[in-house]
Amino acid sequence: MSSSPSEYVTLLSGDGFEFVIPRSAACVSGTIRRMLDTSNNFSEAISGRCVLEDLSGIVLEKVCEYLCYNEKNKDQNVVPDMEIPPELCLELLMAADYLDSTLLFSCIPCQKALAYKDE
Amino acid sequence: MAMRARHKIRAPRKALDDFDTSWSTLAASLREIHTKNASSLSFEELYRNAYKLVISSRGNDLYECVKDLEREWLENVVRVRLAASVSPSLLLDRTPADTLDQSNNERRAAGERILAAIKEAWEDHQLCMGMITDVLMYMDRVICADHHKPSIYVASMCLFRDCVLRAPMRPDSDVSLLDVLKSAVLFMINLERTGHIIDRQLIRRCIYMLEGLYETATEEESAKLYLTVFQPMFIETSRDFYRAEGERLLQLADAATFCRSASSRIAEEGERCRFTLSPLSERGIQGVIDTELIEKRIADVIGLAENGVKHMLDHDRVGDLANVYVLVARIDKTKTTLTLAVQRRITELGDEINATAKTFSHPTPTPKLNESHGPGKKKGDDKDKPVNQQTVAAVKWVDDILNLKRRIDDIWKRAFESDQGMQTSITNSFSEFINSNARSSEYLSLFFDENLKKGLKGKTDSEVDALLENGITLLRYVKDKDLFETYYKKHLSRRLLMKRSVSMDAERQMISKMKMEVGNQFTQRLEAMFKDMAVSDDLSASYRDYVYRMGDQDPKRVELEISVLTSTMWPMEIMSSKDGTAQLPCLYPKEIETVKQSFEKFYLNKHSGRKLSWQPSMGTADIRAVFRRSDGKIARHELNVSTYAMIILLLFNDVPIGESLSFEEIRTRTLIPDHDLIRNLQSLAVAPKTRVLRKDPTSKDVKPTDQFFYNQDFQSMFTKVRIGVVSSAGNKIETQSERKETEKKMNDERGGSIEAAIVRVMKQRKKLVHSQLITEVLTQLASRFVPDVNMIKKRIESLIDREYLERISDSDPPAYGYVA
Repeated sequence: MSSSPSEYVTLLSGDGFEFVIPRSAACVSGTIRRMLDTSNNFSEAISGRCVLEDLSGIVLEKVCEYLCYNEKNKDQNVVPDMEIPPELCLELLMAADYLDSTLLFSCIPCQKALAYKDE
Repeated sequence: MAMRARHKIRAPRKALDDFDTSWSTLAASLREIHTKNASSLSFEELYRNAYKLVISSRGNDLYECVKDLEREWLENVVRVRLAASVSPSLLLDRTPADTLDQSNNERRAAGERILAAIKEAWEDHQLCMGMITDVLMYMDRVICADHHKPSIYVASMCLFRDCVLRAPMRPDSDVSLLDVLKSAVLFMINLERTGHIIDRQLIRRCIYMLEGLYETATEEESAKLYLTVFQPMFIETSRDFYRAEGERLLQLADAATFCRSASSRIAEEGERCRFTLSPLSERGIQGVIDTELIEKRIADVIGLAENGVKHMLDHDRVGDLANVYVLVARIDKTKTTLTLAVQRRITELGDEINATAKTFSHPTPTPKLNESHGPGKKKGDDKDKPVNQQTVAAVKWVDDILNLKRRIDDIWKRAFESDQGMQTSITNSFSEFINSNARSSEYLSLFFDENLKKGLKGKTDSEVDALLENGITLLRYVKDKDLFETYYKKHLSRRLLMKRSVSMDAERQMISKMKMEVGNQFTQRLEAMFKDMAVSDDLSASYRDYVYRMGDQDPKRVELEISVLTSTMWPMEIMSSKDGTAQLPCLYPKEIETVKQSFEKFYLNKHSGRKLSWQPSMGTADIRAVFRRSDGKIARHELNVSTYAMIILLLFNDVPIGESLSFEEIRTRTLIPDHDLIRNLQSLAVAPKTRVLRKDPTSKDVKPTDQFFYNQDFQSMFTKVRIGVVSSAGNKIETQSERKETEKKMNDERGGSIEAAIVRVMKQRKKLVHSQLITEVLTQLASRFVPDVNMIKKRIESLIDREYLERISDSDPPAYGYVA
């Protein structure tokens, strides 16, 4: 680790996929932000790699897509909806909870998630 | 939790794996965090563990377990470590005492050690709890919301408070670490107050801790440990310290030092609160200084006989006074103590000035027989002195007051921040002592007279302006402005008639200044006097034309310059003879008489129905005199003499050389009143430098039996000789009898003003209660003088007698009605 942390961080899914996204985008998630906090100095902060054991590659991909989407549109009023396949909704909800990212919550159509669960 | 199939997703199974396994890994990691090995831990793993425990409804258990873990850590590790660094010296003596330096140093070192240890423990705890909170974020989110519990961070802070700071350090004593901390900090503050240098940063850190801890888990502002535990003690010890300090300073130091120390203490404590302790205490500690050092002592300090405020005022110690002012302003918005001291001093100084003026000007009962005309002119014989001295005293009085005023104003501006209240009381004291001098109006008018006569020579416009402005400032203080007006009129008339004024511009400036200050009514008559003078100039000119046109080209003809005065506007009494009897017209020589008659004819032609009365006592004449000296030389001099003197001298034109006129002869041939005759003869025959006449016998007094000769041997180094006779030509202080005269006149005039005011008020109101009438009259007249209430009552009586007013019967309170 150099003195100034790298601009990009790597997120790893439980099944071994790696996603490299901007640090600022990643830190929208409270969990990831704390994980990377240099003053706490956990191993993730040192390596810049966050292994998110509980998330599958597919979900993490969607999460990363959201994080980048959020980063890109954060200062705009009118933004296009993000496309979320219904079958991913429930798992994404859980991921959002886990990642402490309330914004992500708001993007997920909950009825769809619940409907899918009932099926 | 990976996905099993695309189309079928089940809710994640509750992880029912035993709580204990997860907890034990978690607990081990938390311990690692405490021992600062976090870098080897994966946040994600810890987080996931905690997450799962919470997800599986074990959050509450987790919370309690973490708390237990923390308590155990704090009690068994942190407290033990801290207890070890407390040296026995800190436990023995808990009150800061001024013992030997040796033990002080020891104690201080021990104190610093324990403070450093506490600080480190605290900062570690904070850091670790921050990390742990982050890891347990999910738990906090769920537990705090669901169970209304304080977050784990807050809970652990409470644990630190109870298990480390508040717990007894040794089983055998109940001294807690908090007590040690407090006494160590207070001890160091005491050291700093007595001039030592301490580690402020260290103390600040420990104070941060007290500010960061609360009595309750809800963390109200007022429940900060700093406020509940430390501040009261801090204030308490500070109070003791400053009580002693105040006593010490009062005994050892002078007032200036006291105020300087107090000011620097205030600054010092402010700085201490900002950099060493907490800004929260600033108000409290300033309050302590305010009461202990200022409120209880300042009156003594201000009153200190040899170096209190009096001394500062006397020696222009602006800096010191500013200190006192700032201190007093802290405790008292109205600054009563300081104001009173300043007022007292001003009145004292003013009384001194009054007293000097009084001793200077003992009214001399001897008749002023021979005087030179200006107070500044030192020629003339000894008899002038007392009167001149009085005038000098008058001018000096004004100068002194102006100096005092300037000094006080300067102090007021620079030391008292131009404080409004102070100004009012300063003004009051000035006005008080100025009015306590019964002659203030006269003195002030004399001051103007002096300056307008000669003081303004060679001064620039702005200087003149400043000088007049100063005088006007004093006029503001004078209550009896009508009295001032009388004197000013008298003095002005002399200046105008004798052409003694240096600059008419300055005179006009003065009038306009007075107009602004006192009002139109006040200057009306003064302005009329100026107008008369201007009209007279024109009149003289047109009379010259008239004479020229008449074709009367007599080369010997006497030129006439005339001042026609409106008798109501001018103070005629100073022109008439002393005893007030009507003046008999004197006999003019025929050259003069013809001119007089010709002018009367000219004037009455222009303005029929007017009456001219001649005032020879106010005039002057230029005559050319030829002296045939005994050594054969012929000397010519131009003599500037009074009208009377001119008449006397012209008599000698008809007297053969070597012959004389007796006093009686002169009197019968001129009919000049005795009083004026004696004066004029004195200045012609007795005054050393202007002896145009010779008197036999040569004595200082003029007696009816004396003989007078034309002095052919008159010598003077100047061609033009001014023979300054002129009765009371110089404006000088009045004698006792003159004063009585003036006062009597003043009272009459006031009576008139009061009656006029009463009538004005009643005409408007028709009916008015007695007390109200009095008040209204007082306000109406306030700008001119302060009337005596008894006088007003008398005037009301007199108006009732003359049926201007009537008493309204059966009215309570008594009232009056206006009779139209």
